[in-house]
Amino acid sequence: MPILNDITLGQYYPAESSIHQLDPRTKLLVTFICMTIMLIIGHPFALLVLSLGLYAIIKSSNIPPAFVLRNLKPFLWLFVLTILIHIIFSEDPQSLNGDHTPLYVIRQGLFRGITYSLRLCLLILFAAILTLTTSPIEITDALEKLLTPMKKIGLPVHDVTMMITLSLRFIPTLILEADKLRKAQISRGMKFKGNLMKRVHSIIPLLLPLFMSVFRRADELAMAMDARCYTGGEERTRFKQLEFKSSDYIVISSAVALLLIAVLIRFFNIV
Amino acid sequence: MFTVAQAIYNTLSLINRQKKITVVSLFAALTVVGSFIRIPFPYVPLTLQTFFVILSGDVIGPRYGAYSQFLYLILGLIGLPVFAYGGGISYFLQPSFGYLLAYPLGAFVCGTLIRKMMRTERRQRNFFMMMNLILINSIGMLVIFVIGLMYLYLNLRFIIGKEIDIMDLFWSGFIIFIPVDSMKVLLASWLTLKLHPHFSWLDSVLQEKRRAVENKDR
Repeated sequence: MPILNDITLGQYYPAESSIHQLDPRTKLLVTFICMTIMLIIGHPFALLVLSLGLYAIIKSSNIPPAFVLRNLKPFLWLFVLTILIHIIFSEDPQSLNGDHTPLYVIRQGLFRGITYSLRLCLLILFAAILTLTTSPIEITDALEKLLTPMKKIGLPVHDVTMMITLSLRFIPTLILEADKLRKAQISRGMKFKGNLMKRVHSIIPLLLPLFMSVFRRADELAMAMDARCYTGGEERTRFKQLEFKSSDYIVISSAVALLLIAVLIRFFNIV
Repeated sequence: MFTVAQAIYNTLSLINRQKKITVVSLFAALTVVGSFIRIPFPYVPLTLQTFFVILSGDVIGPRYGAYSQFLYLILGLIGLPVFAYGGGISYFLQPSFGYLLAYPLGAFVCGTLIRKMMRTERRQRNFFMMMNLILINSIGMLVIFVIGLMYLYLNLRFIIGKEIDIMDLFWSGFIIFIPVDSMKVLLASWLTLKLHPHFSWLDSVLQEKRRAVENKDR
């Protein structure tokens, strides 16, 4: 089942590299900082510099570049749309006066469309690198650690991370269960073909048993947690301890420095 | 024999921390499964997510329904491919992200209204109940669409950087979904009607009423 493989693997690409070995908290923070930089700065030259930096990061993460670029596929139509819209509806005031030839206007639109798309591209790729080099479990661990101060205002941080893990476990179960039920109904003479109305009608004998078995599973799980005395995050120790190394400090401080430079350029016109 | 009623009653009647956690994550997982069934359209893909969104509000109540949808959002934003076009923090750049943002609110609205209805109306005939449920679920659906459309407009305006005709937006973000989504609303209402006697645990008033009925039966 292709869906099942997709989910259990996530997007995580296991490899040996300096990026993989960074603390997940560092990666999370740096990704957010990088995306902020991207949203602040829109100049084509700055974007080119940033994409060079991105290339260096991809190279050092030992992930095949094609694997990283695959993340752009779902956004492809968005880029095409962006470029097309910029060409068709050019806002250049000079073009309205008829000072320029249509070709010039189109070229301007194309240029701006490509700039916007490049910015989108970089944003997506930075986020992709985070999820490619960090497993979902690591990300939830990092989230739990980073959100610990939120406990003071009543956010059940540990419960949230627990629920993330649980629902990850539930997804394959649900798909298998639905598949089993579908086969069971087919073996009893059920047909899942025909027009839309018929198909919708055929879903109904699937939904109720699905809900029943799913609630039973949830019940069993709650019972199992109860039996193991699960009481939430208090005084719970963990197998894997997260700790910052010197490389983490270096990465975070350089990202913050970059952010500062970006803010200076954008808002104070320095440099 | 293990019936649906028993299963749900067992899961939900004794509401402790573990059960809350499992039920909320269960509905987040259901929404994920709903997003795997999809038909691509420009701007906004057609999926079964909204069906489970309304159902989560209907079945497990406004609070936990909203929690489960928040959980779903978190799952997608930390990079799991659970949204219609994958996942990741960058997903907020997709024009259709507004619909996802509206899911917790949609579940909350459905749950609140249904609780109100259950409280005010005693033993109603199934037909009126069904009509009410359809109305409530449609309101929940509309909430999702209104927020989704607003985000769609803002996204195209400020992130892609161009203005698009509002009628066009309305057409591709709302009208083409009406046939399928009304089907989803019908299905969700029907399921809620079947399940509703068994989720009275949500409401202390209803729970007392249920106990009274049980005592009378004895």
